[in-house]
Amino acid sequence: MKLNKLLVAGATVLLSASALVGCGSSSSKAQAPKDTVRISEKDVIATMDSSLNTDIIGTQNLTNTMEGLYRYKGKDIKPALATKVVQPTNNGLTYTFPLRKDAKWSNGDPVTAQDFVYAWKRTVNPKTKSQYAYIYEGIANAKDITAGKKPVDSLGVKALDKHTFQVTLEKPMPYFSQLMASATFYPQNPKTVNKWGKKYGTNSKTLVFNGPYKLVKWSSANNSWTEIKNNDYWNAKDVKVKKIQYQVIKDASTSLNLYQANKLDRALITGDTSKQMKGSKGYGIQKQNSTFYIQMNQQKDTIFKNQKVRQALSLAINREQLTKKVLGNGTTPAHSFTPSNMSFDPQNKSKDFTSETAKTGKANATYDLAKAKKLWKEGLAETGNTGKKFNFVLLGDDTDIAKQQNEYLQNQLEKLPGMKVTLNNVPFKSRLSRSDNGDFDLVVTGWNADFPDPINFLTLFTSNASNNKGKWNNPEYDSLVNKSMTEDANNPAARWKDMVAAQNIANEQQGVIPLYQNGEAWMTHSRVKDLDYGPSGSYNMVSLRVKD
Amino acid sequence: MTKYIIKRIFYMILTLFIVASVTFFMMKMMPGTPFTNQDKLSAAQLKIMNQQYGLNKPIWQQYLIYMVNLLHGDFGTSFQFNNQPVSSLIMTRLQPSMLIGAQAMIIGSILGILLGAIAAINKNTWIDSLATFVSILGISVPSFVLGVLLQFYLAFKWHLFPIALWNGWQSSILPSIALAVSPLAQIARFMRTEMVDVLNSDYIELSKAKGNTRWQTVVKHTLRNSLIPVITIIGPLTANILTGSLVVENIFSIPGIGEQFVKSIMTNDYPTIMGLTIFYSVMFMVMLLITDILYSIIDPRIRLTNKEGN
Amino acid sequence: MADIKITADSFKKITSDQSENQEKISAPSLTFFQDAVRRLRKDKVAVVSFFVLIIIMIVAFAAPVLSPHDPNAQNPDYANLPPRIANTNIPGFRGRIKNSAGIVTNPYETNNVPKNRTYVLGTDYLGRDLFSRILYGTRLSLIIAFIATLVDLIIGLPYGIISGWKGGTVDLILQRIIEIISSVPNLIVAILLLLVLKPGLTSIILAIAFSSWVTMARLIRAQTLQLKEQEYILASITIGESPMRIARKHLIPNLSSTIIIQTMFSIPSAIFFEAFLSFIGIGIPAPNASLGTLLSDGQKAFRFLPYQMWYPALVLCILMIAFNLFADGLRDAFDPKSE
Repeated sequence: MKLNKLLVAGATVLLSASALVGCGSSSSKAQAPKDTVRISEKDVIATMDSSLNTDIIGTQNLTNTMEGLYRYKGKDIKPALATKVVQPTNNGLTYTFPLRKDAKWSNGDPVTAQDFVYAWKRTVNPKTKSQYAYIYEGIANAKDITAGKKPVDSLGVKALDKHTFQVTLEKPMPYFSQLMASATFYPQNPKTVNKWGKKYGTNSKTLVFNGPYKLVKWSSANNSWTEIKNNDYWNAKDVKVKKIQYQVIKDASTSLNLYQANKLDRALITGDTSKQMKGSKGYGIQKQNSTFYIQMNQQKDTIFKNQKVRQALSLAINREQLTKKVLGNGTTPAHSFTPSNMSFDPQNKSKDFTSETAKTGKANATYDLAKAKKLWKEGLAETGNTGKKFNFVLLGDDTDIAKQQNEYLQNQLEKLPGMKVTLNNVPFKSRLSRSDNGDFDLVVTGWNADFPDPINFLTLFTSNASNNKGKWNNPEYDSLVNKSMTEDANNPAARWKDMVAAQNIANEQQGVIPLYQNGEAWMTHSRVKDLDYGPSGSYNMVSLRVKD
Repeated sequence: MTKYIIKRIFYMILTLFIVASVTFFMMKMMPGTPFTNQDKLSAAQLKIMNQQYGLNKPIWQQYLIYMVNLLHGDFGTSFQFNNQPVSSLIMTRLQPSMLIGAQAMIIGSILGILLGAIAAINKNTWIDSLATFVSILGISVPSFVLGVLLQFYLAFKWHLFPIALWNGWQSSILPSIALAVSPLAQIARFMRTEMVDVLNSDYIELSKAKGNTRWQTVVKHTLRNSLIPVITIIGPLTANILTGSLVVENIFSIPGIGEQFVKSIMTNDYPTIMGLTIFYSVMFMVMLLITDILYSIIDPRIRLTNKEGN
Repeated sequence: MADIKITADSFKKITSDQSENQEKISAPSLTFFQDAVRRLRKDKVAVVSFFVLIIIMIVAFAAPVLSPHDPNAQNPDYANLPPRIANTNIPGFRGRIKNSAGIVTNPYETNNVPKNRTYVLGTDYLGRDLFSRILYGTRLSLIIAFIATLVDLIIGLPYGIISGWKGGTVDLILQRIIEIISSVPNLIVAILLLLVLKPGLTSIILAIAFSSWVTMARLIRAQTLQLKEQEYILASITIGESPMRIARKHLIPNLSSTIIIQTMFSIPSAIFFEAFLSFIGIGIPAPNASLGTLLSDGQKAFRFLPYQMWYPALVLCILMIAFNLFADGLRDAFDPKSE
């Protein structure tokens, strides 16, 4: 029995020792570090090379650490490296940007017009393999260069002198100024890029910065990174927060636990956690410039060519319930595929694009099961399918949210008599390749604005657009979209009218069924002030303040 | 002994070769490409990209290239991170996984052996039943449930440990405990069985007859002799820690390879999946080899040279 | 001291009947199986586990009859309701739950749920009845485990027997194959298979079976090697019985204890395995529930809706414990040496 006690005692000692170590090491109520903001992030930074970046996380961190011609402040574009917001000359084809002379890279080099020329040519060069090179389309020769048909040097950019940068376009680009605020058009320091070659942008050692913050101790695949204030930034006096710490957290309750233990100042919460926290102190929603919608494969299932059938599907979906009760994560019902709160009437800045198309949107994308059933019946009769049974495959992503949403959609759509829906939740890339191959009946897709202009969404669904997987087509819609980009390109008011008209057609036709506008639910500590979320979909951390 | 080890290593390489080949062809069957928005890429870009990833060559050539690169420790380039070699991806994420894995095995082995020994010595008493129950419970609770419970009660409610994240050694305690429970339970069960057998054997009777105290008997004869079989299961258990690490790392936001593996699955990052598969297999085989060598050192009755390869 | 005289009378002739009695085996003669069952019956823990398992299985397979609601019927207005049995006042089943601020609320009232509506174990994020989902989920998990184990037996048994029986080159090759498969961790094998196959029930069963048959094959081979040396096998070979017949008549019956015990250990690990796959997002496709998917959903909601994790976890634990204890009992019963 003696031995036995010894063993028991040994075990106890071991256990309590480990518990004690734990006790000593963590204080119960953490004190937030001064001048520092700690934010949770959904995922790691894939790359910090502005030519190669493809995702929101990369964009956010590039916005934090780099500077382009313009920067969003609130809803407005403000000059950044350019000294003013430039109006085009030569029928909207030439932009000449005077650059500020006090901007520096963190290695001491001045930021010059040549850095822009270098970076832009590098991005369109097919050898760089930038997946966002297509955004340059419209700048003289950009498309041909990326297609390998013209030499890189033929790109329509020029450094007139050290501090004057000129861009020549092929056709007027009404949204050119918005583009100039996006990370894909940032300058690069040629010395650094050449030095590191392929390794440029894979860890903080390979980077130089000209923005408000400097990224330190980071390499891709790191789950956490720190950004410290860049004292060489031309506008450093406006940057008040000394340090931003990012931490990748994938589990919503872990995120909330950390927030409540004061280990995070701003925590992204999803799913049920978000539903439960709704209304509590610190809870807030950030709408994003992205919408989710259903595309119907008109080539595989001719029944979807019938407008009433499409409308019936749309009316059978209760978007209020989907966003509030099922997802509850900050998403809001969408009545059109162009998101709200992104773009505003050029003649009246208070008028949202979606409010001008709200009438057609609400009429065709608001839950009304009785009407849906009626239209469904009529649609079936018109196509000669009365009484037939349909089994559709709903293709979607395999994330938690997508699964929940698709389960709900399945249930809703099956309320239409004779309709059966089978779910197929697959990884993102499988979903892409299957929707490319037309291997689906219904597919849930999302689009996140490349730049905050309705045209970015409207061009997704013209009849030969590669994103139009359902192959819905409407000549009138096509011509309106086209008109806004050619004839009316230099006339903001007429262009706006074209886009509104096109959106109205799309809403009535329900060529794609809008579901919801994406949003994120955040818990934010009261010490964090002035989070400035711009139309570009990222935060302007220059405005960020912290009150201890 | 040396001859045996050489032979084993030869088999390991052969096995690895087959594993790598099978995974290679499996991954080639999968849909998806390295490109997130293929639609928007120009033909010229696609061509250059395919060239870079070697996707323009016939499959057998791609296979040869992959195998040759593998010899140089080059697992290819991740689809998910631009220009990022898979090998460096694994290296940067290795340390946290190794640390919690090793700690979990140490906690699991020590406590498991203790628990099993206590149960065996007190066979058929309430202590034995309790120990058995605890160890059965240990293999019945999934580590992701356990992880959540530990995080909520020990860290969030009682502030004993950090909730999550990877800041210093303290952050490794809870994930290590969450991971340790399953091997602990299995080792305890195994240890109890072995020790009961040993306690029933003749040489224990002899030791008692010689007038050795119970303590001496247990330490000198029983423990050592029952530990031998336990060592054989520690190898596979260490590798199986992986099962737990995939989920535990996610819950505790640990930048380890398990978390990376789950993400690679979600993003169809085939080169990384392949790299990690091969990496895990190497780890597993090395563990088995070490186990076998240890076995022969501890038990003089075993001669490795006479033993079959398995 | 009395004088004792031994005479012929001192001896009594025993009746033949008595001598027979001494030789007679009073207990009924038992086969190996009957004997094992007898030993098993004495093991209280095993008996209790056995009945627990039987009850769970009956309840699970009677899910269509027993479940109060359709497990897949959604009612998002009644989402995330805590457990309540209508018109009763049992603690834990009153339909109350603490909200994020720590205040006890009654979501039934705030959501205007009819007074007589009962959700014994509450509802999930789509307002589906958790109790019904647990019943169906347990059934699905058991089905997966049973079929996976069966498949693993179908591959493992002949593989092991052939390997052990044939010996020589065949054995060598078969053993190398096993070695290769087992040098990749189980979970990886399963994940790779699931990536290649289309997601679905069959793929999961195959993935689980494929990653676990190796253990079965190894045990069978070892046992076959031992049996091969037995005299009665030698006798059968001598009288020219076909290998198939030997396998059927002699090997399999003698292997049965190994098979049964291994099966009993395989089932719970298959259930567990499925739970892991569900957790990392490659389990049973929606809207079907398994214990794994229920648990992984519940785990995410644990902070505020702990019941969504506790109840599936409880069922899983009871199932795992019962299977393991019963398997332990079986092993002891089949192995007369122990205890």
